[in-house]
This record gives sequence, C-alpha cells and structure tokens, in this order.
Amino acid sequence: MKGKTKKKEYIIAITFLAPALILLFCFIIYPVMDAAFLSLHSWKGMYGQPKKWVGLDNFIKALTSGKFWNAMLNCVWFMLGSFVVLMPIAFGLAMLITSKLKFTRIMKTAYFMPVMLGTTAVALMWTNILNPGWGALAQFLRFLGLDSLVTDWLSKPVLNVICVVLVNEWMFAGYNMLIFAAGLVSIPHSLYEAALIDGCGGWQRVRYITLPLMKNTFKIFSILAFTGSLKVFDIVWAMTRGGPGDVSSTPGIILYTEAFQYKLFGRSSAYSIILLVFGIVISLVVNRIFRQDEEMY
Amino acid sequence: MKQRKRWNILWYFLALVWGLMTILPLMITVFSSLKNNNEINMGVFSMPEHWRIENYAKANETANAFGSIGNSILLALLTTVLVTVVGMLAAYILARKKLFFIKPVYLLFMVGVMVPVHCTIVPISGMASALHAKDSFWFLVLIYSAFNLAQAVYLYTGFIQSIDRELDEAAIIDGCTDVTLLSKILSPICKPIIATEAIFVFIYGYSELIFSLTLLSKPEKFTVSRAMLNFTGEHSTDMGPQFAFIVMAMIPTLFIYLIFHERVESGILSGAVKG
Repeated sequence: MKGKTKKKEYIIAITFLAPALILLFCFIIYPVMDAAFLSLHSWKGMYGQPKKWVGLDNFIKALTSGKFWNAMLNCVWFMLGSFVVLMPIAFGLAMLITSKLKFTRIMKTAYFMPVMLGTTAVALMWTNILNPGWGALAQFLRFLGLDSLVTDWLSKPVLNVICVVLVNEWMFAGYNMLIFAAGLVSIPHSLYEAALIDGCGGWQRVRYITLPLMKNTFKIFSILAFTGSLKVFDIVWAMTRGGPGDVSSTPGIILYTEAFQYKLFGRSSAYSIILLVFGIVISLVVNRIFRQDEEMY
Repeated sequence: MKQRKRWNILWYFLALVWGLMTILPLMITVFSSLKNNNEINMGVFSMPEHWRIENYAKANETANAFGSIGNSILLALLTTVLVTVVGMLAAYILARKKLFFIKPVYLLFMVGVMVPVHCTIVPISGMASALHAKDSFWFLVLIYSAFNLAQAVYLYTGFIQSIDRELDEAAIIDGCTDVTLLSKILSPICKPIIATEAIFVFIYGYSELIFSLTLLSKPEKFTVSRAMLNFTGEHSTDMGPQFAFIVMAMIPTLFIYLIFHERVESGILSGAVKG
C-alpha cells in the first residue's frame, strides 16, 4: 500500500513538473549549451552548413577587439548611471511616497507609470524629444535663448550613451522607487521614535537607522543594476541602433549584430558566453561584499 | 514647527518636479500625434489647434498599427496564461512534495533566472530554422514563457509555502486529489501573487523586442515594438503618424496599469517581484 502511494506521488510530481522543465530545457539550458558549443566553432549561420572547429579563436578575437571593450565601457556608463542618478532619485521618491505628505497615492501611481509603457515606446518617445530639429528639448533651449547648446544629442559619441542612460533611469526610477519603498516600510516605526527621544536629527535618523536596516534592499538594487546593465539591449537599439558605427553599442547589441548582420555566429556565441560568465561572477561578488559587511557589524 | 512646514513645501516642490518630468513627455507625444509637420516644428508644447485624427488612420494604413498591436496582445495573453498554469503546476510540487529531486529541480529554475536572454538568440534562431518555426506565434509564446517561468515559479513556490499545510491535509481528508487541491483550494488563495506576476508577464510579452527582431520576417506578423521601429526607421518624412503610433502602442499597457495599479504596487511593496 505504502509503496503504491509513493509511486503515485512520483508520477504526479513528474507530470506536474514536466511542462515547466521541458520549457526550461528547450529554451534556456539547451540554448546555453549550444552557445557554448558554437563559441568554439566558426559558423556562417546557414542551417545545415558545417560548423568548423576553431578552438578558443572566437574568444581571443572577441576579447581583443576594441568593439567589445567599448561596449563594456558603455555598460560601465549604465552602471554608473544606476548608482549616481537612479539610486538617489529612486531613494528620494521612495522617501516621498512613504512620508506623511498628502497625495502620496497619486505620486506613487504617476511615478511608477513609465516602466509599464514598454521599452520601445519609451525609447522612441524620447528619441523624438531629443531630436535637434523639432524635439521638445531643442525647442525649450531655443526658447531660453540657449541655441548653442542644441546639438544632435543621439549621434555624438559618449553624449548619446549618456542620453540613453538618462532615459533608462527616467523609465526605471519609479520601479526602483517601489523596491526602496518596500525596504523603508519594513523598518519598525518604534526605532524612529526611540531615536527621536535620544535626540537624533533627521539626517542622523537616515544615516544610523534607515540606511543600515535597508542593506538587503541595497543588495537587491545593486544586483539588479549590475546584471541589468550587462543585459541592456532594447532601449539602445531603439534609440541609436548602437551607432553611429559601434559607438553606443552594448554587449547585447554587439552579439546581435555579429550574428545577424555579419553572420559570425561563432563569434557572437563567444560574446554570449562571456556575458553569461560576467553576469554570474558579478552576482556572486555583490553577494559576497554584502555578506562580508554583515560579518563586520 | 515652522521649519518643518518649510521642509514640507520643498518636498512637495520636488514631487511636482518629478511628476512633471513623468507626465510632460507623454503630453508632448499626445499633442504631437494630433499635429502635422509644420505645427510640430512651430512648437511641441502647445495644444493642437486642429485635432488631426487622420494621423491615427495613416499610422494604421502605412504601418499596420492595429494589426501589430493585436499581434502583441495575443502573444502577451497566451504567454500570461501559459506561464500561470505551468508555473503553478511546478510550484505546487516544489512547495509541497518531499521527494529527493525537489531541491535540485528548484535550483535549476534559479539558475535559469541568471541566463540573459541574448545568450540564447543564436541557438534559438537556429532551432527555429530547423523546426520551420520562424514567423510562428506559438514558438514565440513558448520562448517568452520559458524566460518568465523561472521568476513565476520562484514567486509561486514562496507563496504556496507560506500557506498552512493543515489546509491541504483537511482537503485531502475531504477527498481532494492533487488536481482539485491545486485548482480549487490553493490557486484561489494565490490570486494576489498570480495577478501581480501576470501583469508583469503581460507587459513583457506585449513589448518584447529581441526575439521578434530575430524570428519574425513577415510584416503582417510584426509585434508592436518591431512595427514601430520599422515605421520610424523608414518613413521619416511625416511625423504626426509616428507619434500617433507611439501613443496607440502605449494605450493597452497604460489601460491595464490604470486598472490594476494598486495590485502592481502592492505586489512590489510586499517584496514579491525582484527582477
């Protein structure tokens, strides 16, 4: 009797898990293994054409190309933007919507909205705003008499990356606001009252209560910021297509163009494996840093 | 007290500034969608004098706006349903059964979260050619679902684990099988988390770009993102319809957000969705 029910348990468990596992294997695990295999071969991407073994050649070419390091540099811009621009704004907004001010509900709804609009729509909206001819920003600067500041923001090297980074922060400010707000509301109110009795000022309360108790939130934010920056594709593709040339490319764009424009499928796969390893290493390192911190306290 | 009031005014001012930052780009886009080129060049901040609704018709004619929005809504809906059903089935087993392979399988899903989408575009487009699945929606739905599944499984498993096991035992004594236990008893309790995750999956499916870029080639199959990009790339002469397309593309998700925003917000606030 007992053996029979155990057997039934197994059958049910396997049937219930099967659809999810099949999807996971077909579209994530197998493709990653295939990418690892392809990264060691040269292949023109035609189905049925032979794949030629080239060893680590793809990785060497990938890691020694200026294109790749430029793309990594652009990732660094995205990371910098996350910590220098996004984090203060999102944290400030989180303080705002969890405060005792009025209208916080409307603020919350309005601020969160951009992330729900879809990346391509947001990107194209801002591409138009940043247009040097009819764009809203150019018109605004001309209205102020600052004509000299109007340039083609999206085709000047580095400036275009910074513009895309800022649009990205505009889009995700509200989302991260809620992540920080979740951390803020989890802090017991009695701590602040105790601090008030002990004579702590507003800034001291933030420094000695809010920030230390939100360490986990900052960890989540950091992991999202680092891995998200490595993965950026949609917004850059929609705003600049990685151009002019490869100036504003991210690794995601390089691996896309290598494969689907230059037909270097092996090289492209090498980029994807590099990207995967980077992502995992960064997640582990961030986890490690925050754990060490915990031991210190 | 007076100082406090002054601080409050500063906070309200900052709130207003960011509010304007958020709303103004949308207003400019909506205004511009109702103007012609001349009027756009004259000034994007003013209300349109004549409401040129024909821009919307033109966007639909030249760029198949309605068709592509329909395609994306269909893809998003199918993906949402598939992720919810498949995710709940898996989460139920992972949360409730004590078998030797539960832990490794759960870990496998968590590794799945780490894989960036782009790493798979080359192999998946190879698979699509081999299976003659280019331009096919079911293939896209399966891919979208696979990439949303790991997070859904993670959230649902956590939620089911938080439900008291005694409920299961009582239900089993009353004659529930695994299927009825999951569908009639646990799923209704999981409604909040299912709704939150469903909204995010829908938004992902609706606005996904990279796979629709690599796997679709027939214009009548294009998703919103793809059709919108094509439109702005090719026809840069007439601006009004381009703005009109952007506005139309935003309407479905905006609509969903305005209905369900409390659900979305409370979902993240309770620490549910973490990317």
